[in-house]
Amino acid sequence: MLSTNIKKSKAGLSEIEAEYIAKSLIVYCTTVTAKQTNKEVTKLLEEHRDLVSIAVVEHNKPIGLINRNYFMEDMAKPFRHDLFDRKSCIAFMNKDPLIVNESLSIQELSFKVLDSGSKTLNDGFIITDENGDYLGIGTGEDLVKVVTFLQAEKNRLITESINYASVIQQSFLRLSNEDMGNVLHEYFMHWEPRDKVGGDYYFCKKFKDGYFLALIDCTGHGVPGAFMTLIMSAFLGGVLLDKEARLDPAKVLSIMNQRVKFTLGQIADPQDDKHDFSSSKEGQSDDGMDTAFCWINTEKDELVYAGAKMPLFYIDTHDHHHKEPEIHSLEPDRKGVGYIDTPMDYKWTNRTLKLTKKMCIYITSDGLVDQIGGTKKIAFGKKRFVALLKDNYHKPMTEQQTLLTQAFYDYQGKQKRRDDLCLMGFRY
Amino acid sequence: MSDLFIAASSDTPEIDFQFSNKTLTISGEAYPENGVEFFRPILKNLQSHLNSMSGEQLEFNFKLTYFNSVSTKILYSMFELLNEYAKNNPNCVLLNWFHDEEDDMILSFGLDIQEDFTWIDFSAIAIS
Repeated sequence: MLSTNIKKSKAGLSEIEAEYIAKSLIVYCTTVTAKQTNKEVTKLLEEHRDLVSIAVVEHNKPIGLINRNYFMEDMAKPFRHDLFDRKSCIAFMNKDPLIVNESLSIQELSFKVLDSGSKTLNDGFIITDENGDYLGIGTGEDLVKVVTFLQAEKNRLITESINYASVIQQSFLRLSNEDMGNVLHEYFMHWEPRDKVGGDYYFCKKFKDGYFLALIDCTGHGVPGAFMTLIMSAFLGGVLLDKEARLDPAKVLSIMNQRVKFTLGQIADPQDDKHDFSSSKEGQSDDGMDTAFCWINTEKDELVYAGAKMPLFYIDTHDHHHKEPEIHSLEPDRKGVGYIDTPMDYKWTNRTLKLTKKMCIYITSDGLVDQIGGTKKIAFGKKRFVALLKDNYHKPMTEQQTLLTQAFYDYQGKQKRRDDLCLMGFRY
Repeated sequence: MSDLFIAASSDTPEIDFQFSNKTLTISGEAYPENGVEFFRPILKNLQSHLNSMSGEQLEFNFKLTYFNSVSTKILYSMFELLNEYAKNNPNCVLLNWFHDEEDDMILSFGLDIQEDFTWIDFSAIAIS
């Protein structure tokens, strides 16, 4: 029967949908006319045990539908055979069955069947050609089968597509991973997109006198977020081709801001009333990133940081003023990179940090500190994060990764993950 | 003046703008896939009410516990509208910033808002 018609399709989503229409559900072609008697119908139903319903057709036009169970039950009542055997079969037919055109899409058909009530799911529905001529019957069971198949097929295609997008997004990290392994002695990089791919990303490039390190949190997550990470990463690589650029992370942010705004057309129009919420520009994006850019000069033992809404935390383990070393932070500017409301000529600020041996540096995207959880269902918070760093900074970096992420998962508990997560730490 | 009420969903907040009582409240979480689409009619509504008001006191209760980056940008637009109204009507907008006493993220966002929108009277309220 129908199950044999369902084939593993290699076609794209729209092709699969076009392939499955009401026509593909036609299964029974046996019909009766109004002239035929109930006795004849009884005989037909007894001979063809798989018939759920029989259509009554006059001059190729369907006029009703006889349901097996309903018909047999009624005929089984006392004297029914004597009274009705020789009468027209229209006595027990449903005069108002659902009739649909063969070209109707499966989705529209599903809505029609659901709208018409549970009776149609049991009795089936009549399928006609464009002239309204009878073609056959479709059953509720087969409809459910096809809908389930289409759903599974769509899921398969989307999952395959995202899986492969993830391969691309990860291979784009290869060079950064290589350089990071070369320049950092002890570190961890925890990259965990919420939906297999995402808007959090990182970047590392080695130079003869140091390395450039960036943590990036692009707008959105999933596939759109991943698009943005590739754009940002490619731009950043391009900007750093300029030999002097790395020395001035704030300037790199400015150049990136201009490129993103220009490329994506995210330029505020002075003519626009920014309070006019009624007008929305079709296809106007407003995407960008929060980020921490660091140039680490290994010859001068110096870190130059410029941040767009993403702070950097550090612990000076040689901090002799305090018995217990304190967690400090370098604070970012509060403007994101590339967004419409970030001015084209916006300037970020460089902050310089003298590096000492064994100093610990941490950067995280807001996915960690903003995650809702705990008994109060509030954000994980910066305080909790800083306290964890303070308790564990002396442990090996990979162990810190395990402790931090475990604390995060425990805090999240049964709450939904809200955002992508990217967290890194290294010991100088 | 008609009030605006929108019930919360798993990723959109409850909007309870009682213009009749001059009390506007937003609570819950905000991380819809398309934040602009969700918030645009709300901002339009707020804007038209503010345009028709003059010299009237307005209390805004902020009770959100989570909002994504798109919603953050829209919240900024919302406070900009309130700030504009407060500029033309000094001391007329009170922003009650509710946050759990342990929620440093919501509090620090509130302090940013306080710094950026100086015409609005800001009051942080810690809930235990």
